Amino acid sequence: MGGWRWMKRRFQVLFNKSEAEAELDDELRFHLEKEIELNLSAGMSQAEARRRALVAFGGVERHKEEVRHVRGARVLDDAVQDTRIAFRSFMKEPAFLAAVLLTLGLGIGGNVAMFGILEASLFRALPYPEPDRLVMGRVTWNGQVGQTVSGPDFFDYRERSGSFERLAAFTPWSMPQTLTGEGEPDRVPSIFVSPGFFAALGAVPVLGREFAPDEGELGGPNVVVISEGLWERRFGSDPDILGRGVTFGGTPSTVVGVMPASFRLMADVDAWFPLQRGGAWAGGRQFHNFILVGRLAPGVSMAQAQEDVDRISAALAEEYPDTNRDKGLNVAPLKEALSQRYETTLMVLMAAVATLLLIACGNVAGLLLARGSARRGELAVRSVMGAGQGRLARQLVTENALLAVGAGLVGVAMATGLQRGILSFVSLDLLGRVEPGLSGPSLGFALGLSALTVVAFGVIPALRLAGGDPAADLRSGARATGGRGATRFRNGLVVAQVALTAVLLSGAGLLLRSFSELQGVDPGFDDAHLLTAAVQIPSAEYQEPAARVEFFRQLSERIAAAPGVQKVGFTTHVPIRDPGGNVRVDRPELFGTAGVFGRLAYRRAVMPGYFDALGIPLRAGRDVALTDDPAAPRVIVLSQSLAEQIFPGENPLGRTVGVDQGGSEPATFEVVGVVGDVVPSHPAEGMEAAMYVPYSQSAGSRMSLAVRATDLAAAATAVRGVLREMDPDIPLAEAATMDEVESRVVADQRSMAAVLSAFAAVALLLAAVGLYGVLAYQVSRRLHEIGIRMALGADAGRMVSSVVRGGMTLVVVGLLVGLPVSYFAARLIREMLFGVGTGDPLTYAGVAVFLGGVAALACALPGFRASRVDPAVAFREE
Amino acid sequence: MAPKADLLQGSLDLLILRTLDLEPLHGWAVSKRIQLLSRGVLEVNQGSLYPALYRLRDRGLIESEYGESEEGRRVKVYALTRKGRAALAREREGWRLFSGAVNDVLATN
Repeated sequence: MGGWRWMKRRFQVLFNKSEAEAELDDELRFHLEKEIELNLSAGMSQAEARRRALVAFGGVERHKEEVRHVRGARVLDDAVQDTRIAFRSFMKEPAFLAAVLLTLGLGIGGNVAMFGILEASLFRALPYPEPDRLVMGRVTWNGQVGQTVSGPDFFDYRERSGSFERLAAFTPWSMPQTLTGEGEPDRVPSIFVSPGFFAALGAVPVLGREFAPDEGELGGPNVVVISEGLWERRFGSDPDILGRGVTFGGTPSTVVGVMPASFRLMADVDAWFPLQRGGAWAGGRQFHNFILVGRLAPGVSMAQAQEDVDRISAALAEEYPDTNRDKGLNVAPLKEALSQRYETTLMVLMAAVATLLLIACGNVAGLLLARGSARRGELAVRSVMGAGQGRLARQLVTENALLAVGAGLVGVAMATGLQRGILSFVSLDLLGRVEPGLSGPSLGFALGLSALTVVAFGVIPALRLAGGDPAADLRSGARATGGRGATRFRNGLVVAQVALTAVLLSGAGLLLRSFSELQGVDPGFDDAHLLTAAVQIPSAEYQEPAARVEFFRQLSERIAAAPGVQKVGFTTHVPIRDPGGNVRVDRPELFGTAGVFGRLAYRRAVMPGYFDALGIPLRAGRDVALTDDPAAPRVIVLSQSLAEQIFPGENPLGRTVGVDQGGSEPATFEVVGVVGDVVPSHPAEGMEAAMYVPYSQSAGSRMSLAVRATDLAAAATAVRGVLREMDPDIPLAEAATMDEVESRVVADQRSMAAVLSAFAAVALLLAAVGLYGVLAYQVSRRLHEIGIRMALGADAGRMVSSVVRGGMTLVVVGLLVGLPVSYFAARLIREMLFGVGTGDPLTYAGVAVFLGGVAALACALPGFRASRVDPAVAFREE
Repeated sequence: MAPKADLLQGSLDLLILRTLDLEPLHGWAVSKRIQLLSRGVLEVNQGSLYPALYRLRDRGLIESEYGESEEGRRVKVYALTRKGRAALAREREGWRLFSGAVNDVLATN
């Protein structure tokens, strides 16, 4: 027979199974009938004739099985048959099917989602041409990698280094600029970049060009590059936008380019301004505001570039010992530098979802074992009919593979949603390039994972089940418990699940404890009922400092008089909300002497009444006053800790301090007051030294305000109204309550704690269900024995405790394994902890008690059931 | 009852081909025909018969179609194909050689 015909027959057999089966039935029946006829004609009775014929023929089913064996394209045929049987048996138990698909699907889905995020953020190449040549430059202090580089240092590196095709600087945080002119004033997130920034990354504008070298020099034209998004939103995608004048912060600028919407590095930005060498933004050597991004020259390695900049750093240290003595520049692959901050978070989450999947596999394996034991009868029948052990094992593996495939499909279907959920929790904005979605690698991962789960939960139970002697089971009619080996396997599963759950619970517990410690941090001011916002006045219109002071004085007065407003304070930096801005301060006579750099403290300009509005206690002296004008002596208010650092054990009032404001000499101030310390940025960093100068002597164009009111929403409306009255071109920016601000800064910690807690809760639920399942199964298998005991007068309480004791032994073993593992696993999250150590005894004790309690509950239910066994029913169930 | 001989592996195929060489038969008739031709010595185990029939059909040596039994019942009837006829001739020759050789061995005494 030709290959083609052979194939055709195989497929006919496969797909016309029932027809083929019917033919076989027919034929065998006919054969039997003829035999009976023959026997009858030999003079036997009808019954005898039939019996003889059957004996001679042997088991009908056995022959069928043999014929099937010969007939089919064996493996394929079996697979199809197995699949049918599997579907049939699944459909009979929809609850079982749903439990397995949901448990495993969730586990696989979570892993696929997390893997997708991991892949997109850590492994995928940056979306720029030749990404391997891209580097990030960050400052180093005594060899320790810090963040931002000073402007003048950058210009020197750019000039003196030959290792880079392009080296550019950018401000890593976006500063909103007010765009006015067409319609409502708009706050546009903006950053400063040096010419060559886009070219270094290989980004090409959709329209126009990037900054030319002369636009990065002092006195260069006012130009701006805008995003495609802003171009569409604000300018209706005007094709003649290039060369058009737009007004940012009151300054007219010319649009020279439009960057594609896909262009993104770290922050979302809609306008880029040129960083001018020697300009106001470049700042002095002691002000560090820029991250460098560079493209290595062809053939230059990372190490060579590092050597090159080290040489320049050494030269700068000699030329500018005051500022550059311990300073250097670190050159690192851009991708690595970008991902660094998230690496731990992502790895911890990945480990957590993987653990969850393991627990889920454990549960499903337990379910399958229990179900398998219940199916021993069915398997035994098939075995007697001639199905070999390998055949039965294959049947079971097929079923499990089908389950895994189903779960994989469920998982993939859920993955994108889960990914969205995780991304909404875990902020990856610094990276700014992870979109939910499934990539090829993610799908491959899902496939591999599904296959792995088959091995993990499917093969062992299958072998275990098929490996026994099912025929013997059938003969004895045994209520097999699956044998001692199966029991041990099930117990092992429970122990492992408890141990893994303990690890997740401990991690979640440590993070929750950290978070509550973080929230318990005293900020140093009254953070309840506080509304904050920013006001930026166009510097072109308010050129004179006096005009600015007058503006804010009036604004302050009018807001204070607005209905519902209790107090209002103005400052350049509201604590926690506006971090940064630390400079050197010390006794003026100590500045410049060997080894004294000055102490770092946060410098803020404030309006009178600010301390009162925020509830920062005045410890000594006085508040700043409007009378502290430019003509009056320069005054300063120190925070308590700063006063103690600079004037230990002395009265600071009336003393003079020098503050490095970028000039060649430190500016001197007379100390007129001392106030309490506050938490300037992140609660985890605690209170830090700060100093306050009067706004009237240091009037910038941007101020933040803090309004104390009972109804914050009404207050926000009132403040907006006042501002509109004073100048309709000035928007109230970034209005947020202090509660919102605080929750935003601890968002990372909170989301990490929340996500891990959610994972731990799911793990706990799964483990409890697993434990319950195992015990309930044991009880149901022992009904007969329990019934006898009860009939003999065993005490119901003892029945409960015997079951619970059995279960809790497993839990205790699980905890004994899990807690030490947790302690070591906690090192992974050490850097995320605040106020608690990795060995926090309270956390581990809590985990043991909590997990133990839930487990006891899971044990008690089957125990209770055992105590309620009615002996009569137990015997009937025989 | 006459002594029964077990069928050698492979010889059943030959016997089936041989019986079908005379005329198309259904399965039961094949077994009876073998029994008859061997004067009751060879009894085909029914458990082997049908697998053998299906095997031969799969190899294309015989084909099956529905015909009528003596009582007019619809039954599956097997017939030799051309390929089967050739195989029969080949295997017959082989068997003759084989049985002759066995006889020679047994005769030497």
